Amino acid sequence: MPMPGTAPPAGALDAAARLADRLRWFFLPLALCALVAVGVHTAADVVGELILGMVDAADAAFDGLAARWTLTAPLVDLVGPSQRVFFARGVALLWELVADWLLALPMLGYDERADEVKRFRELAAKAWGRPTTLRVVHPLATGAVALAGSCAVGRLLEGTLHFSLRGAMGSAADALARGCALAAVLGLVGFIAWRAVVHALVRADARSDRIPLRRGRAFTVGLPGALLLLPLALAALRAAPLLSFLR
Amino acid sequence: MRRARSLADLALAALCLWAAWYHTPPGALLRTAFARLFGARSATPALLSYYGAGARPFQLAEPLPPRAALSPGAALGLGAQSALERTSPADRAQVLARAGLRSLSADALGDWLLREVRLQGSRESAVLSLFCGEEAARFARERAGGGRASLEELARQLPPRYADRVALAAAALTLGTAYALAWPLPDSAQVTSLFGVRAHPLLGGRRFHSGIDLGVSVGTPVRAAAEGIVRRASDDRVSGRLVLLDHGSGVSTVYCHNDALLVAPGDAVAKGQVIALSGNSGLSTGPHLHYQLDLPQGPADPLLFRAARPPQLAAGGTEP
Repeated sequence: MPMPGTAPPAGALDAAARLADRLRWFFLPLALCALVAVGVHTAADVVGELILGMVDAADAAFDGLAARWTLTAPLVDLVGPSQRVFFARGVALLWELVADWLLALPMLGYDERADEVKRFRELAAKAWGRPTTLRVVHPLATGAVALAGSCAVGRLLEGTLHFSLRGAMGSAADALARGCALAAVLGLVGFIAWRAVVHALVRADARSDRIPLRRGRAFTVGLPGALLLLPLALAALRAAPLLSFLR
Repeated sequence: MRRARSLADLALAALCLWAAWYHTPPGALLRTAFARLFGARSATPALLSYYGAGARPFQLAEPLPPRAALSPGAALGLGAQSALERTSPADRAQVLARAGLRSLSADALGDWLLREVRLQGSRESAVLSLFCGEEAARFARERAGGGRASLEELARQLPPRYADRVALAAAALTLGTAYALAWPLPDSAQVTSLFGVRAHPLLGGRRFHSGIDLGVSVGTPVRAAAEGIVRRASDDRVSGRLVLLDHGSGVSTVYCHNDALLVAPGDAVAKGQVIALSGNSGLSTGPHLHYQLDLPQGPADPLLFRAARPPQLAAGGTEP
């Protein structure tokens, strides 16, 4: 016979699990969207140098043009070196918002299936056999930013636990925070991030199927978005310090 | 089994939403909106500040009284002092007590920071140590992968509660870098036009002059005010041949109207290295160097950060 004191927690846990199970349709899309958005932000944060270089080059070209005529000469000071960082940050923000539009927002339409692994295999095989820009770039970019997002979430958890528990636990807080962060990163990659890749594959596949069968269209449809997402995906991989959780 | 997984998924979803609250632009907007709605103080920086360790524009300190040229340590100490003066007395006392300092003197802060730079291997980590504590600096340094990490990289490792302190550390580094700048020309070069609004001698009307003009003959060597990276070396009909140097920590200097440029974009330059020969190129009424100092909030008067004031032309003298 169970002790009267132990039954309620098990019951409460069971009730919470039942409630979580019923609400999966609500929180899973939100989680996917949030994870990808965090990853996109992390990537946008590290492309600052690249953007600053682009803004400097554009500013030099603009100044060269505007300085040719007396009427437009004052415009040289309007977009001067002082505003370069402001503009670079503005471009980074814009880049991030467009990437959110392309990658994160569609995650809100995620519908979970019981056979997710099978669905992933079929779509990946189709993408391999009939590649299009959309089928290749969107899932890869989603995977990269989801990985960066997982690391960012892990780091946030690690830092918060480390500095919250240090007073009470001393040096043990470091190991505990690190362990929790590593578990969170692995959990996010294993339970959330891969679903984001599956959903990106599903969307890219559906859009690719609508592309008219004309020569070259498979590669030109979605090309501007791909050119925007690829540098961000590379930056995301740079911003995903997986090994730092083991150091 | 499925229910247990649902619980795990719910916990992971909560983590994702928590991170998005702090690490996305919509999260920043929501935090600001909530703070306004409930009348709470918002620690959320401006949206664009997210790209650069939360470096925000700040009020400049009072102009430095003329004194001997500052060493890098003293300049950093002065920067830290200026940043600390912006905090509440309680916060200031906490920072000083943690560092074991009795007073808010620039010299004491400079000595403490120099010692930390030697111990930790970088100015960024030392300043972070002063404002956020040694434990936070160590934590960030270890996760960022070493002592040469930028303040941005270090700040990314810390939880959101340190955002305000990181912004102060960024301000201290900016000011410390600016106070350590050398002068690009010999001290004898006269200031022919000051920083601020003035009547433009060629374009007409009252316009903002974003730097100062120093009258020198064509061919005078122009030296880098500090070590940095050449971000721009270009030529146009207004600024003439210009060099833009990025010194890090939000500080950059611009040198306009040169006769010849001796560096190219991407070059790393040392403090005092000759980067150009002064001239009269672009929109100019006579040979001079337009020297501009840029901080995160925009152009600043280079004379505010100058130890010894150069001689000035009599009132009325201007160069574009």
